[in-house]
Amino acid sequence: MKLDHPELQNRLAAEYVLGTMRGGARRRFEEYLPDNPSLRDAVSQWEACLMPMADQIPSVTPPERVWKKIIDRVNGIQTPALARINQQKTANRRTGWRFFDSLLFWRNLGISASTLVVVLSIGLFAGNSWQAHEPMMTAVLEEDGVARMVIEQPKADMLMVKMVKPWKTASTKSLQLWVMPKDGPARSIGIINQDGSTKIRMQDLSGMLDNGLSFAVTKEPFGGSPTGQPTGMILCKGVIATMPPKPSKRAAPPLI
Amino acid sequence: MSVGRATKTHPNKTTDQMTPTPSNDHLATLLARAGLGDRQAFSDLYEASKSKLFGVSLRIVRERHIAEEVLQDSFVKIWHHAADYAVAKSAPMTWMTAIVRNRSLDIVRRPAHEIADENDYFALNMPDDSPSMAEQLASKRDQAEIVRCMKALDNEQNSAILLAFFQGLSHSEVADKLHKPLGTVKTHIRRGLLRLKDCLDGQVNEGGGA
Repeated sequence: MKLDHPELQNRLAAEYVLGTMRGGARRRFEEYLPDNPSLRDAVSQWEACLMPMADQIPSVTPPERVWKKIIDRVNGIQTPALARINQQKTANRRTGWRFFDSLLFWRNLGISASTLVVVLSIGLFAGNSWQAHEPMMTAVLEEDGVARMVIEQPKADMLMVKMVKPWKTASTKSLQLWVMPKDGPARSIGIINQDGSTKIRMQDLSGMLDNGLSFAVTKEPFGGSPTGQPTGMILCKGVIATMPPKPSKRAAPPLI
Repeated sequence: MSVGRATKTHPNKTTDQMTPTPSNDHLATLLARAGLGDRQAFSDLYEASKSKLFGVSLRIVRERHIAEEVLQDSFVKIWHHAADYAVAKSAPMTWMTAIVRNRSLDIVRRPAHEIADENDYFALNMPDDSPSMAEQLASKRDQAEIVRCMKALDNEQNSAILLAFFQGLSHSEVADKLHKPLGTVKTHIRRGLLRLKDCLDGQVNEGGGA
């Protein structure tokens, strides 16, 4: 099947979203999607067109057991990174990680949510390859409790910034990322993209972050602050969480 | 926000139409937090959307235990893919509804007994204009738009698309239902969809209504 013709893509995407494409054709279509951005766009457009119709369908409350089963399945999959952090119960965290395993985890989550969010956010960049990528530090930047972006330090001289919920910022302005040290003035990390991800490479990054307490993003004139210090309002901020050191990859085999 | 919409529903079904549709911003925030691993947000997201989404699946798969499975599978998927959501840039309910519908369509094995009743495709299938419906949807731009554009279609196109969408019927099932040849139904659907999209994109002067 040749799928590079826009009209064909549009027609197939429409039938896929409507649901009249069925069985094998549907499965083959889904196989094409990951490698075909224009086809995915066509699907998104049709979803945006048709899905609002679903709002006409009367709500029906599902039984309690459905949520219980969802939780069982979600809990069954514990990521390796999280398991490792669980085991370590690192001293630099206030929260007892055993809560992960208890009901209290669910009930008291509000209290420790920000800490948990930071830890659980590893892997946002890495997809499924947890073990291949464990950052040195991570931070979730929030605005009024809404997560706006996640920052990770995958290597000593590299920062990755991923926008979770972009603003509708006028393109004449720039978003500037700052590290706020324990004492002293803010230091600029750089301008970040208004959408998607930004990769920042800096030689003395670790030095800056060692003394850093949190990140903040301000809206600045195009190209960045003219003064070298934040001039616009803080859009979002988040505490830097240093990740526990990684244990050696290959544990010694048991002697017996 | 419209609460308790005047939809024509099947009297035998337990529905709780008083569930208000949660705001997109609220859901987007919950989804973003779930994407970061925040389980409370995930739980809130489920609470806010479960009844809508269960209703969507039930209409396609028609059996409660299958719809329960669909909802389970869908929310496990939502948990694992919530972090991708921002990239998709669609409204959260659109994104989640698509997941639930896709899973429903994957899983559905149309039982021998036929589809409930003719009143089943309701609301949008209204050649006679219903001002109350239109008024109640006025605050919801997306829905209002699609209602308007669906009404602008020919009756045959409208019916075929509604049957396919709401009940998850295939081309041949729609053809059986409408007592029309398969080829005719395919054409109605294809042309209807294109006209619908043109209308939603605002590329066509829609005129005063069908």
